[in-house]
Amino acid sequence: MHLTDEQLNEYLDNETNERVQIETHLSSCGECAARLSMLQALFTELDSLPEVALTKSLAAPFLTTRSLPAPLPKFLTLTVILQAAFALTAIIIAVPFVANLLPAIEISSLMEGITQLQAQWINLLDKLSTFNLQPSNLPTFNLQPATFQLPPLEISSLLMALAGVSVLWILGNGVFLRNQR
Amino acid sequence: MPTDRDLILQTRRGDADSRAAFGELVTRYQTSVFNVCYRILHERGEAEDLAQETFIRAYDRIHTFDIEREFGPWIRRVAANLCLNAIEASKDTAELDDERDADSAQLPEAVYEVHERSETIRSALASLPAHYRVVVELRHFQELSYEEIAAELKIPLSDVKSHLFRARKILAEKLHASH
Ligand SMILES: [Zn+2]
Repeated sequence: MHLTDEQLNEYLDNETNERVQIETHLSSCGECAARLSMLQALFTELDSLPEVALTKSLAAPFLTTRSLPAPLPKFLTLTVILQAAFALTAIIIAVPFVANLLPAIEISSLMEGITQLQAQWINLLDKLSTFNLQPSNLPTFNLQPATFQLPPLEISSLLMALAGVSVLWILGNGVFLRNQR
Repeated sequence: MPTDRDLILQTRRGDADSRAAFGELVTRYQTSVFNVCYRILHERGEAEDLAQETFIRAYDRIHTFDIEREFGPWIRRVAANLCLNAIEASKDTAELDDERDADSAQLPEAVYEVHERSETIRSALASLPAHYRVVVELRHFQELSYEEIAAELKIPLSDVKSHLFRARKILAEKLHASH
């Protein structure tokens, strides 16, 4: 009785419990020994298969990554610094103008308006508490528009305000761009 | 030089260097993973795509990797499985593949004359049905036991044996005929 293909395969794969019996048979049967060496030759042939080289690196998608903080391009860094310097200069120039402008807003007229509003509100609450469903008793509003006295406007101060806003915008953009990188 | 384990732990931290750490792992194993795919698929472009896919998936699932195991054998098994899935997914478009592959038609004579011996072996491998190819890959090139192959491919042990033994029979016939 010869060895089965399964026995020979399992023997070469080291997956058999019958090593001794198989070896005993192999030592006395040339036919089975020849079958085994044929199979062994295939194993050797498969083992001899060389590895082939890649034509591109598969690591590239992991190495060119956005998650690594890239240094800012030189021109951008320069722009940000210039923007900041310009903004600082502009603020320094703008400060005296703004300081001049602030006291010009008359606090008294503002206060007057607020007091008037408050009086109207109290009046309304009073009327609501004594409300007796007579149409004639409906509260009537007589809101006197508060008269704010605008500070005297000059074209130069408007321009300065505009410049100040622009500078803040540029500065903000610079900071925002830097954070986004 | 960091060990594989260091690189995996660094990848898992998810900080700025984690992608680069995984990139280093890819550099270490890309050739062996590509060769797994190439032996199974026998087509360079496809093999490169699947090898790349293997690493992308491994990166996404790096948290599921058991740090006590070796990375190389693990990633190669992932690659083999991925190739088998890819072949099976494309089966609908190439339904006759298995029938054509299973028949033990001899390779054209020109193949023997033109190609080197290794190319003959590759052609013989490529002529096997896909699931035979993967079993041969796992047994001969990744040196898994029958049990490990069964677990990896989620098939019965008896299927592992029958696929492997039949595959060897076909290979032996083709390769001996080509000497
Ligand atoms: Zn015998």
